[in-house]
This record gives sequence, C-alpha cells and structure tokens, in this order.
Amino acid sequence: MILISMPGLSLLLALMAPALHAAPPSGLCVVAEAPPEYYNIVLVPTRKVPGTRQAAGVATVSFAPSPFGIALTPDGRYVYDLAVAVEKLQPPKAGAYVVWVSTPDLDRVVRLGVLDAQGRTAGQVSFNKYLVFITLEPTDAPGDRWTGPVILRGISKSGFMHTMAGHGPFQQEPCANFGFN
Amino acid sequence: MVTLAATAQHGHMMPMNGDSLAWRMPPMDVAMPMLPGLQGKVPAVAPFLAGEGMDAAMFPEARPREVVTPADGDTLDLAAQLVRRTIHGKTFVMYGYNGQYPGPLIKVGKGTTLVVRFRNNIEMPTTVHWHGLRLDNRFDGVPGITQAPVARGETFLYRVHFPDDGIYWYHPHVREDIQQDLGLYGNMLVDPPDPDYYSPVNREEVLILDDIAMDEHGLLPFGAEGPSNVLMGRFGNVMLVNGATDYRLDVRRGAVVRFFLTNVANARTFNVTFGGAPIKIVASDVSKYEREEWVRSVPIAPAERYVVEVRFDRPGTRAMTNAIQAINHFQGTFYPHVDTLGTIAVAEDEVAEDFGAAFETLRENADVERDIEAYRPYFDKAVDHELELTVRAKGLPMPIMLAMAVDTLFRPPMEWNDAMPMMNWLATSREVTWILRDTETGRDNMDIHWDFAQGDVVKLRIFNNPKTFHPMNHPIHIHGQRYLVLSMDGVPNRNLVWKDTAIVPVGSTMELLVDMSNPGDWMLHCHIAEHLHAGMMLSFHVAARGTGD
Repeated sequence: MILISMPGLSLLLALMAPALHAAPPSGLCVVAEAPPEYYNIVLVPTRKVPGTRQAAGVATVSFAPSPFGIALTPDGRYVYDLAVAVEKLQPPKAGAYVVWVSTPDLDRVVRLGVLDAQGRTAGQVSFNKYLVFITLEPTDAPGDRWTGPVILRGISKSGFMHTMAGHGPFQQEPCANFGFN
Repeated sequence: MVTLAATAQHGHMMPMNGDSLAWRMPPMDVAMPMLPGLQGKVPAVAPFLAGEGMDAAMFPEARPREVVTPADGDTLDLAAQLVRRTIHGKTFVMYGYNGQYPGPLIKVGKGTTLVVRFRNNIEMPTTVHWHGLRLDNRFDGVPGITQAPVARGETFLYRVHFPDDGIYWYHPHVREDIQQDLGLYGNMLVDPPDPDYYSPVNREEVLILDDIAMDEHGLLPFGAEGPSNVLMGRFGNVMLVNGATDYRLDVRRGAVVRFFLTNVANARTFNVTFGGAPIKIVASDVSKYEREEWVRSVPIAPAERYVVEVRFDRPGTRAMTNAIQAINHFQGTFYPHVDTLGTIAVAEDEVAEDFGAAFETLRENADVERDIEAYRPYFDKAVDHELELTVRAKGLPMPIMLAMAVDTLFRPPMEWNDAMPMMNWLATSREVTWILRDTETGRDNMDIHWDFAQGDVVKLRIFNNPKTFHPMNHPIHIHGQRYLVLSMDGVPNRNLVWKDTAIVPVGSTMELLVDMSNPGDWMLHCHIAEHLHAGMMLSFHVAARGTGD
C-alpha cells in the first residue's frame, strides 16, 4: 500500500513538472504511440531469434459477442476477442509460431493459436491483466506451456496499472518488463 | 448485504459539530489512503438532506410497493411525498411515490392509455418521466423542454400511453441525483396481448436494483445547488432490491422464474448472478431479442432493463449477487468483490408444473425479426451524426488535478466501484462538465440542435474518448424513441433488440440506428444522474409527419 504524505506530495509536484515537459530518460518505460484503438496491444520483438528483428504486431481487442454489448464472466472479468496480426515475420525454418496469453505472473496460460501463413490468429481472453506473446515452438501440436523462445510480446492496457507510485513520474521499471522498447 | 462496518472509514470522518447537515465523507475502504492535501476539504456546494431539521417521526413510514392494474382510460393518482425509512437500523427521511418503496407497480395491457394525476408534496420542484415509453411528447416530463417543473403542492396531469410490451419505469427528471436516489422510482409492466409472447414460467418477479450511500449516522448528504460525486457518479454502499436490503424469494425445486430487472442506481452498473443457476436472456428495454441466449450473468447499467428467465433446479439457498472486479488504483490491482443482493431459497419439493422443457428451448422471435427487417436497408447508411463523449474539469483541488494527471496508464472500460471516493465526492457540477460533443459542428450538450422528421431512420455514432481528464462509461438514453445497437467497435451486433438505454464503455465506438417514430422535442443524455446534471444532455426535434413542424 502506498501512503503518500504531504512531503510525498511535494515530491510528486517536484517530479511532475519536468516529467510533463521533458522526454523521459532513455530506458524508462514509455507508453507507446497509441495504436488505432485504445485497448489494442502492441507486440514488440525480443530480437532473440534471427529473422524476427523486424517483426511487428498488434493484438486487436474487442468485446466478445454478448447480448449486453460488454461481455463479462460471472465474476466480472471482461471477455475479449483477441485478433493477433504480425508483419515482417519470416516463416520459421522449422516449427510454428504460437500465440499465448497469460496472467502477468504466469500462473495461468492459455494457448491462443498458431499464426497462419498471413501471420494471424484469434481467440478469447478473460484475464484482468495479461501478457500476449508469441513463441517459436518445435511443432504446432497443442500444449499447455511454451517451450521455445519468445519472439514478440506485449501487455494488456490494464497491465500498465500498477501502484500509484508506478504511474507517471515515478515510473522506473525497465521497459522490457512491459513489452516495450 | 454490505454492512456498514465492512466499509468503515479510517479517520476520514469530518467533524460533526452536532450539525447533521455538515458534509460527511463517503465510506472508504480501510486500504484506500486519502490523497495528501485533501484533508478537511468538502464539496463546493452546500449539503442537502430531505426533511432536514424535521423529526422523521412526523412522516409516514414507507410501505412496500403495491401493484395497481388500471384499465384503459382510468385515472391514477400519484404523489411524490416525504416518507420515513429505516435501513440498517438508521431512521431517516426519504421520498416515495404514494408513500411506497418503490413506487406502485403499474401493470397495464399493451395499448393502454392512462391519466396520471400527479401531485408534488416534496420540498423541491419535480416532474415524472416515463422512461422508455413512446408517449405523447407533452407528457415526457422534462423540465424546460416539455413542461414546467411541478412546484411543491401543485399537480400535473400526465396522459401516459403504453405502445410497447415489456418493462419500463418512471422517475423524476429534476435533480435525479437526489430525488431518484431518495426513492422516487417505480416500474410499469406492460402485458402483451399474445399469451404465448413469453415462455411459460412458474412465477414472475419485478425487481428494481439500487444502491444508497450511508454511514453510521444515516444517509450521506447530497449537493444542494448541484450534485457532488460528479466524476464517477454517486455509488452507494448499501444494496437495495425493491427498496429493501432483505430481498428473499422462495421457490420449489425446478421452478422457472422470469425476472424483470431494472437498474435505478445513480451510477452503478451491476453484474447480476443467481448463484450459478442457468440464465436465459429474453428481452431488454423495448422488445424481446431476435433470439434468446444463455448467459452467465446480467450486466445492467443505470436505466437499462433486462428480462431473464432462471431455473432453480437444485434445492438449497442461492445468493443473488452483484459480482465484479473492483479496482484499487493505489495498489494498481483488480480484486473480486461480491455484493449479496438477496437470497433465493429453493425447497426440496418439486414445482407443481414443470416448465423445464420450455426453459431449455431457446426461442427465435420471428415477430422481432420481422419488425427489425424493415430497418435492415438502413444498416449500412452513412452516419448522420457523431458524438464524442468527453469531460472538462476546472478548479478542482490541486491534489485531484495532479493525481488525475499521472493516473493515465489505464482507463478501465467500465467503473464497477467508486475507486476514488474522496476525489469523486469533492467533484461537483461547478468544477466538472460532462460533454456530448457533436464532432461535425463542435457544439456541446444543449447547444446542439438536431432536426429530424417523423419516420426518419437515423444513424448515430458515439465515441467515448479514453484520452480525457477522466473517461468513464456512459449509459446513453434517448427519450421517446427506440433504437438498435448496430455495432460496438466495428463488430456488428448479431442479436438485435430495441433499446432506449445502452452502455458506451470507455474507448468504445457504438453505432445506433434510431427509429424516429415519435414527434416532439426529446432528450438524449447520459443516465448517470450526476453526469446528466453536470451537463451531459442534448435535445433534438422530430417534426410530425406531413406537418413540417
């Protein structure tokens, strides 16, 4: 829990002024330029695998079909359709590119699907915060967990919500933690 | 139910000074720290409580609603009055129609016309709006548009026509944030002429969902000159079903119950479950769906209605709940939160008449499909008008402005709880203006002038801009007409239903097709009461067919 005291407010004020007007220091996490839709997820390459450095992708987020407009689970989590599209990703010499979604602490993982020849796949997610990542797997066979290297990754907009101190001027985490350059 | 102890404040109480009209802070979770610099601040409007300074004992104790079944042409007397209520052991003054909570349930047949002789006996002007009815414009109950407010002690004759089947509701259109929250609401159930219109069920329940904000002293004050809690709307911490905290339904095993649900809360969207019992969605505001569907819960925004059928096939006690993922902005976390709205006791004895087979059948409603078919040629028409939903804030306490400026990395699609109660409470209509912006003309709210002709089919696109000072979901209500939600975020809606109120989540774009069937001057507005009274409304004119009026 963050308890901000009055000195804390002064610190907040002091930090805020430059933060609002100056570019953040290199290496700090910056919200990417907005994708076409607010909740869409930009997928950023890890550059760990040859031939994937130029890859770029997006997971388009929309509510799953519902008679209520918004789609919810019985305990109130949103149910989203994710449509993943990747460009500039060379076909694998062996294996398949598989898309996964998981909670940020990786305790629950869902295999969304295999990227097709056009670099696309789709599925549903109902986690509050979640990661979307693409791995290079030896085969396209179903599995519970990934085994290959991560090619691209991103985080849901909700994943940016961490402590109040983690917002804005107090942001100190390396961008890699959040799927950004 | 949420107990007051569970939402105890932690040193946030304002000094009472023996004056019950002093502002008192909203209950805050003990894990929720107060922003520095906000201690001692109160909203920039005076506090208001109904009947303040008067002994509650001098007012009649409110009684549960009665069902009235007037015939076509009958006259119904309806009075808004001060009543005494006792909730969670606290006795205070509220309002009631005809001394009841909720107001009388008016059951009529489709096509009925009533005269309602309304009398205002509360201490402020009021009107009655007949929500969802496509009635004569003169009786829509909008002050300054269709009538003058009804002053204390005065009467107004409403001629109320019921052209559509389903569940509707009535409420004031003057300071809804106060009057509606204090109990001025009631349902109208319009019976269809076709006995097979709905599936057979063992019983029907008409439920009004609400919440009120209380602390250990009673009701929390409202803003006198304008609403407080204007950023998110006034969330309550005590849940009410039909105005009470102890809703209970007793059924036999296997019973199928048709629930007519109406959300009259100022701001809260509920996510209703029935203890895991299977739920079938049947109808919404102004019609049945094209097709019935299985659903696992019922998200219902302020002013929306849903008709669902539920089968209770296992004995035992089930909780009817509001189950949400709340947000703690300070910790940056979601957390599950469940409010118990009521209990449903399912007896071991089997129900006398088993409607299980009918319940298991998902109907396709050819009558609805035929009705909508006439509008399909318009589905791909160009957008006639586009609205952007936004907000302007000026003069809020500096800590709030700073906090909002840095808390920008995630704007949730929906606000299910008051995640910032202190900041919300301090925001009044003096500092915050909620805006419907016509993107073509740049005009805002009541400066927008739209003209249509009766019979026009109008496509509206509504974009809820997520990059504003404080974006929030808005239930958009259109008076006197009906509309289809054609798409959300470009995804076509494959199961249509006629609506008069629908949620536009943050960041979403919704396209509506409005059937301008009813001439007159009408409103379009957000049905979060505090947003409405902070500007978020516009009016439009529908000229009568052939008159050019």
